[in-house]
Amino acid sequence: MNERVIPWQPTVIAGPKQALLVTPETAEMMLKKAKRPLMVMGPLVKDSPVLSLAVLIAEKWNIPIVSTGDMFKTLNEADIKSKPYGVVEIVNLLKDPDWGGINGEGQHDLVLFIGVIYYIGSQGLSTLKHFAPHLKTLTLCKFFHSNADASFPNMKDEEWIKYLEKLAE
Amino acid sequence: MITVTPKNKPKEFKNDFWKSKNFKVSIGEIVEKKEVETAPESMGPTPKPNVTDLRSWDMKLLERYEPFYAPFCDMCCLCTFGKCDLTGKKGACGIDIQAQQARIVLLACCIGTAAHAGHARHLVDHLIEKYGADFAIDLGMNIDIEAPLIRTLIGKKPKKLGDLKEVLSYTEEQLSHLLSACHTGQEGSHLDFESKAMHAGLMDDLAREAGDLAQIVALGMPEGDENAPLIEMGLGTIDSKKPVVLCIGHNVVPGAGIMDYMEDHGLEEDVEVCGICCAAIDISRYNKAAKVVGPLSKQLKFIRSGVADVIVVDEQCIRTDVLEEAVKNKAAVIATTDKMCLGLPDLTDEDADEIVSKLVCREIDGALILDPEKVGEVATRVAMKIADERENLKILPDLDEIQEMAKECTECGWCVRVCPNGKPMMDAVVAAGKGDFSKFVELYEYDTCYSCGRCEQECERELPLMSMITKVGEHYIKDQKYNMRAGRGPVQDVEIRRVGAPIVLGDIPGVIAFVGCSNYPEGGLEVAKMAEEFLERNYIVVTTGCGAMSIGEYRDEEGKTLYERYGGEFDAKGLVNMGSCVSNAHVSGACIKIANIFAQKPLEGNFEEIADYILNRVGACGVAWGAYSQKAAAIATGVNRWGIPVVVGPHGSKYRRLYLGRTDKKEKWNLNDLRSGEVIEGEPAPEHLMYAAENRGEATVMIAKLCIRPNDTPKGRQIKLNHYIDLHKKYFGIIPDDISKFIRNEKDIPITYKKDVMNMLEEAGWEPRALPQEPSTMAFREKARGK
Repeated sequence: MNERVIPWQPTVIAGPKQALLVTPETAEMMLKKAKRPLMVMGPLVKDSPVLSLAVLIAEKWNIPIVSTGDMFKTLNEADIKSKPYGVVEIVNLLKDPDWGGINGEGQHDLVLFIGVIYYIGSQGLSTLKHFAPHLKTLTLCKFFHSNADASFPNMKDEEWIKYLEKLAE
Repeated sequence: MITVTPKNKPKEFKNDFWKSKNFKVSIGEIVEKKEVETAPESMGPTPKPNVTDLRSWDMKLLERYEPFYAPFCDMCCLCTFGKCDLTGKKGACGIDIQAQQARIVLLACCIGTAAHAGHARHLVDHLIEKYGADFAIDLGMNIDIEAPLIRTLIGKKPKKLGDLKEVLSYTEEQLSHLLSACHTGQEGSHLDFESKAMHAGLMDDLAREAGDLAQIVALGMPEGDENAPLIEMGLGTIDSKKPVVLCIGHNVVPGAGIMDYMEDHGLEEDVEVCGICCAAIDISRYNKAAKVVGPLSKQLKFIRSGVADVIVVDEQCIRTDVLEEAVKNKAAVIATTDKMCLGLPDLTDEDADEIVSKLVCREIDGALILDPEKVGEVATRVAMKIADERENLKILPDLDEIQEMAKECTECGWCVRVCPNGKPMMDAVVAAGKGDFSKFVELYEYDTCYSCGRCEQECERELPLMSMITKVGEHYIKDQKYNMRAGRGPVQDVEIRRVGAPIVLGDIPGVIAFVGCSNYPEGGLEVAKMAEEFLERNYIVVTTGCGAMSIGEYRDEEGKTLYERYGGEFDAKGLVNMGSCVSNAHVSGACIKIANIFAQKPLEGNFEEIADYILNRVGACGVAWGAYSQKAAAIATGVNRWGIPVVVGPHGSKYRRLYLGRTDKKEKWNLNDLRSGEVIEGEPAPEHLMYAAENRGEATVMIAKLCIRPNDTPKGRQIKLNHYIDLHKKYFGIIPDDISKFIRNEKDIPITYKKDVMNMLEEAGWEPRALPQEPSTMAFREKARGK
């Protein structure tokens, strides 16, 4: 079996439905298609170049950022705008089709996750897989997330950074 | 033991499944007894409630705190239709993913409740056999309300050990009904599954109170003693040169049998008795000579260290491969309860000499002995006989050997991938291969590596990673000696009188209970740091079980543990170790006592009014940072039903269900002001009922927020908001932007932050609103009567 598409923590496999493996090019197509994307950024992205690349992606595609855990402080100190929510809080809001979205402009249709602790992120993606048919999820972590709709594969840092750079260019 | 359906019980007898049980039970009890105890005049509406009796309360909670499901598994694998994939479709029986998740949560809560109820049943039956059914339940002069849960739920005061059998019979009966609802083709509503899970949690709370009460009074454990002794804890306190008996589990009885045997034979100085998990805490409550190794996360490491000559297991949270592990270093295993027999021969009726002989001669690897006194004798004698020959086995591979083994690592990385916390085991092994053991030490400290052993199972070179980390840890961290306050049991009535008003009015910013297992995302240090943060801020911090032990493993720069720095009284800045997992009943018990002692709310049969009082007025918050077992699920769900919110760590999301509030839906927070008879605009207090935080910073801020209650006075609200803002600034860098939701009028604004907050209120278009005089989630009495 291709180890790049086994969930990074192999035991999080939840059922027959697995995420679609995406390259930066296919991720870009998903972004182009999205009307109201959102980026959920967790506390594992505190260091550059990953942090700056994630922010560049958000800026390039005009994506508002939600920060989870205590990530808000890191972003705020770098003068990067975000809105803090617990990861379970933002997932809870995202699963409600009537929620007005982060800027009150309507529910989001594509949510990008990066830097959320793997297993709680996997749980949140499972929630959205089942209870949020109105949106798609895409993970930009260096781990394969089987519960997402689309995910990068398991990668080493070097390859991951190249993936992020391509999406940010 | 007398059960009579109260005369003034308002529910009508109906000939249906749920309602008929009171009738049946009553007949049996009345026939057996000559005297019939009449129900108190003040008996509330729900003595011995069935699940549906409290359903309307549950639905109020579930309306505000909607269940949030995070399916851990998309399948149902329970019946012979085969596995059903519930992703976007129903199962062959008709169940959908929501109901299935709720069903699994109910199942988990039933398992947890059964663990506590079975444990309590063993305790109570054994103690009645030993001390008699008439043994008085008396916790001394400072505790009149000895059993707040039993009084509220059963409707009467337990006076003697025999009375606890009625409590357990009720619990077991309810559990049977609840478990039956999990069967294929029964309950189909996720909300009703949740209501039943809450009922299971409530039964769990009740069983725990019965169990702890029985062991406190019969075994002479501290009776709410704020000055309970400091006891020794840590690997470094155990003299491995002596014969060592290790107890693992939760049931104190076998451990007490060992301590008694040693005392009777003058062996206290000759043999070391130590424990892991709650058995450790409870044996040290029984006899302070017993030593505490530490929480659950020490288990595999300590067994591998080979120090224990005899391992005595009772029930709950024990590694199921304990026998296999013990055999590796020729330690003997004694199983002591029907819950865990491990395939061992039942030698309960065999002569003690014979059993000792068989174990010493290695004729058998272990024995099942269901008589705790015989366990005491056999465990002690076997340890004394085999200790010398095992001396060499107490030595793990030395550092040179570890370095050589580490060089074999192929750097495949699977040890990291299968680690529940993704800890850098491979980096530690690679570094050790180069003679640098520092990364191993980092994993060892504060049980950052939980030592579940998954990495070892995965290692393609079959490196004994747990033995390696144990040896390195022991070598570099020699001074593992701490002091932990022995579990003191319940809160005294006199303490409740002292702090009831400050808690309800908000002057004491909150009561925070650090409970649960040691499945921490970043090690036990985080729990201690959280406890320290709230102690410094004048909160009351209570603790039990593995949480209590993890807190004890942290020392400040002066080398003092939090137990040495803070007193054990239930008061601001008090660090109250209540005891083991069963002692968690005293957390909800303390909240119930506040409603009764401070607010004069009657207890008997009065669940909803008490729970409503706690939800709206008692600023308590549970924290299970390392939640791991089904018992923790049951405990949390039980306290939720009492109106106490709980924060779990990120692994808690794997319980599949949280209860989250929605601050954007203002109508959900309206309150009934029972004094004025008006519905008034409320606030998200507490905002969530069950919440999983991703890391310590987020959890700390949320804990402070979840202590806010509608009943806070302006001064109390100022104090609570001051802490919330302080902590938010510390972990997030700014004043929280939801602060306006918690400010009713200008008097609520913390003085320190007045200017900034006023600016924020202006930007938010904030308007002052009325303070409730008697905030409640219950229906107005007139409306209730109208129904």
